[in-house]
Amino acid sequence: MSAVPSVRAPKRERSIRREGAERVGFFTDTTVCIGCKACEVACKQWNDLTSDGGELVGGGSYDHTRRLSASTWRHVRFIENPALPTAAVAGDGLPDLVQMAEAASPPLDSWLFMSDVCKHCTNAGCMDACPTGAIIRTEFDTVVIQADVCNGCGYCIPSCPFGVPDRDPEDGRAAKCTLCYDRLEDGLEPACAKACPTDSIVFGPYDEIVDLAQKRVTRLHERGIESAYLYGAGDPPEASLAGGLGAFFLLTEPPERYGLPAQADSPIQENVVPATAAAVGAGLLAAIGVAAAFVVKPPRVGRRQRVRAKLWQEGR
Amino acid sequence: MPSPADRADIHSPTGPAEGDPETRDTTPALGTRGEPGRWQRAVEGARVALHKRAFGDGRWSFLYSYRSEYAADRADTEAVAAAAARARRGPPPEQIQGPMMNPAVWTWEVPLYFWFGGIAAGSSFVALACDLAGDHRSARIARRVALGALMPSPPLLILDLGRPERFVNMLRIFKPRSPMSMGAWCLSVFGGLSSAAVGADLIGRKKEARALGGANAVVGGYLGSYTGVLLASTAVPLWARSKMFLGPIFVTTAVATGAAATRLVLVASGLPDGHRTRHALGRVEATAIAIELGLSTWNERRLGDTGDALERGRAGKLFHLAKWSVRAGLALRVARPKLGSKIHHVASGLYLLGGLAFRYAWVAAGHNSASDDADVARMGRHEGGEA
Repeated sequence: MSAVPSVRAPKRERSIRREGAERVGFFTDTTVCIGCKACEVACKQWNDLTSDGGELVGGGSYDHTRRLSASTWRHVRFIENPALPTAAVAGDGLPDLVQMAEAASPPLDSWLFMSDVCKHCTNAGCMDACPTGAIIRTEFDTVVIQADVCNGCGYCIPSCPFGVPDRDPEDGRAAKCTLCYDRLEDGLEPACAKACPTDSIVFGPYDEIVDLAQKRVTRLHERGIESAYLYGAGDPPEASLAGGLGAFFLLTEPPERYGLPAQADSPIQENVVPATAAAVGAGLLAAIGVAAAFVVKPPRVGRRQRVRAKLWQEGR
Repeated sequence: MPSPADRADIHSPTGPAEGDPETRDTTPALGTRGEPGRWQRAVEGARVALHKRAFGDGRWSFLYSYRSEYAADRADTEAVAAAAARARRGPPPEQIQGPMMNPAVWTWEVPLYFWFGGIAAGSSFVALACDLAGDHRSARIARRVALGALMPSPPLLILDLGRPERFVNMLRIFKPRSPMSMGAWCLSVFGGLSSAAVGADLIGRKKEARALGGANAVVGGYLGSYTGVLLASTAVPLWARSKMFLGPIFVTTAVATGAAATRLVLVASGLPDGHRTRHALGRVEATAIAIELGLSTWNERRLGDTGDALERGRAGKLFHLAKWSVRAGLALRVARPKLGSKIHHVASGLYLLGGLAFRYAWVAAGHNSASDDADVARMGRHEGGEA
């Protein structure tokens, strides 16, 4: 088993208790992803999410939405080499892959896909931010928005360092991946993992998948792919991402190429105490300052003004 | 709540038409639109057919279970951690494919609320100070200004919710960790105290009104400053990096706008020229807004590249408007002996306008900052300006 001790969220955060429930998560191995988007489709079907329309983003990319959103809880990110000649884009807006690969400089040797999803952080920024208690930690240590409680205040949206939750302009509530909580309750794996044809998305008990992921990285290193690394698991506590990610990734390029921050934590846990101290301190100083300005000796005034001040006090 | 047309360009890179509710089919397969998903078993407690218990299906894999050479037999955990450290250290790569994070979805209501809440908090300070200085009539009026400025706040916040009819859920829990929860409670307490104080004034209970007004000023200390904490506690680089400044900046704006609003109302109610309260209010508004201007400028300088978000687009225009209003107000105050005392009222109005523009500018600049992928990436690498 892994040398890093099992990462679990604090027990008091867990809103649901169930005998024998353990932390579960996703290990998304981008080296075996083929970009088929079966996970996106399965997610939409199971969770009854609305369509984003069928068009690609254009500009020679096979990406559909470019981002996770209230209606896209799994998003297959296509990272196309920006050095690709744009002339290779065919008339219908789709890239002519053969021509691109031949004409590219440097030659096209990789095309990155990454199936992005909510990270189900150990230190969940969205959950810390939620004022209604709609966002809860389940018995599986996943983070779920209770749709019947959320009032759409939108505070979880900028509080997520990964840009996961989003508010649907029509529905008004925030929404994100639930790690198929309804399926987990029945012992079923989430829809995306079930649908993944290459097992790029591995679902399982957290310790098991972390162990598998570390073995996979070791194997890739043995084969000479030194750039392979785990994003969000297997780090020492001081270097962990948001305390350890429930859904972590095997990547081969710097995280920013996949739209992921190199370092992140729950912004509230990082900032709220110093910011509140500064703010409340300033508030007290301000109140004292205002009072001081009134008590300070006023400029000398004439008799007429004193009379007028007296009249003011008497309300005339 | 943003209009669908505003958000369509965010959701759909191809254009606004796609997110249009008229063309987008949002009919759920089960239940009614907008309600929590509903799902019911045909037989209560029945097992799901053809699946293995305890995630057995998930564990099965042709890739991982056989001699597929997929993974090594033993993990070199130290080398794995070292590889992650390598990839996540140093400067960010040149190619960044965003979006790195989602900007706040708040629309015009929220900054307007910040302004009104600030005026309410500032007036509550003024009310306390007037009482302490013995000018009880001005204190009474200041308490009314505080209540008046507070009144539009709850409707504005409720309007901004995605589900306004659920606003009461804000008071479902008390969560010290969440500035939004604390703000909702603070607003409720302030509203209660403020109404009680004005009510006590109306029925002539002077002592009670003063005590309630004093308590209100204490709550106002948080009401005027928590909005800064609310922004600072997000992942938006501009706001998070200004965490020690946002609270003080917001509270000085609150004092300046509160004092300016109270001053104008008092003058309109006949507070005579040369009265010490008028002098004091003039000093307070000018000092507070000057401190605010100084703090903003200092913060902008120390932020470096992150501070560029304050310069771009609508946020930049609003910031310029705010700064020039404040400067013009201060200049008029200096020129008052020559131009007559009426010009001072224009200065107060300019402080109010400047405060409003500052509120809008901070929210708009946060949008700029969160949309700036390079800046969010630098934040993750602890680069580009102080933390």
